Amino acid sequence: MSMQKRLSELEFSESGTVRDILASRHELNCLGVRAGKHLTMITRQPIKGPVVVAVDDMEVAMGLETARCVIVEVDRP
Amino acid sequence: MMGNPNVGKSALFNRLTGANAVVSNYPGTTVDVTRGFLRKERLEYEIIDVPGAYSLEARDAAEEVAVRILGGHPDAVVMVVLDATRVERGLYLALEVMEHGNPLFVALNMIDAAREREVSVDVATLQEILGVPVVPTSAVLGEGMLDLVEAVHRAQPPDIAAIEARAFGEVKCPAGERPLSIAGTAGGVPE
Repeated sequence: MSMQKRLSELEFSESGTVRDILASRHELNCLGVRAGKHLTMITRQPIKGPVVVAVDDMEVAMGLETARCVIVEVDRP
Repeated sequence: MMGNPNVGKSALFNRLTGANAVVSNYPGTTVDVTRGFLRKERLEYEIIDVPGAYSLEARDAAEEVAVRILGGHPDAVVMVVLDATRVERGLYLALEVMEHGNPLFVALNMIDAAREREVSVDVATLQEILGVPVVPTSAVLGEGMLDLVEAVHRAQPPDIAAIEARAFGEVKCPAGERPLSIAGTAGGVPE
């Protein structure tokens, strides 16, 4: 059974595949975060801080609200 | 010259134009645009270093200026500059520029950084899929500069339908070995 989380809910070093992007799709797409891409959570600052993920050996940072709109299918550990 | 921010576009621009460059604001904005000249073999090339952009659907002032410069020079040859260590990301803008229709070629820059990180790019296959010249360069080391200038004359208006067919279909390896199929949406360039 696969588990889906919002990107903002991923734990540090947790990874998964992007299933859907509910907002800011274009901004994320052109930075490399697209449906079907595999990514890994790098850092997630508490209290409205940025969320940083690794995609294709690149780091992409986004606001917490944007990260809440990215739906990720989490990799099985 | 178009490309994402941080692909070494300005370093490449400086290599090509030397000291004779002029920086000015694009009219009505605070965005810098740099223009210079390259003189080679009795030809003079005007080169415009377009502000870095991730997409032609502009999200900020720099991208808006990039769109306007491209729109304002329908006869220009476009050099799309890619970071060899981030080809897939750079292709997003590159394909949008290709849809615009100008004759185009690609500078695959930062090839020295790619070497260091042991990232290899299959230049031949990329060139075959895109149908335009792809020239590996290192602005920092000065590699590929002559080939790059020569590629201006081999620039082609891209055929998007053909690119798509080649990317989603099958492309023969340059050596003529077994066919290589390129994966769909999330796929990048095979190494």
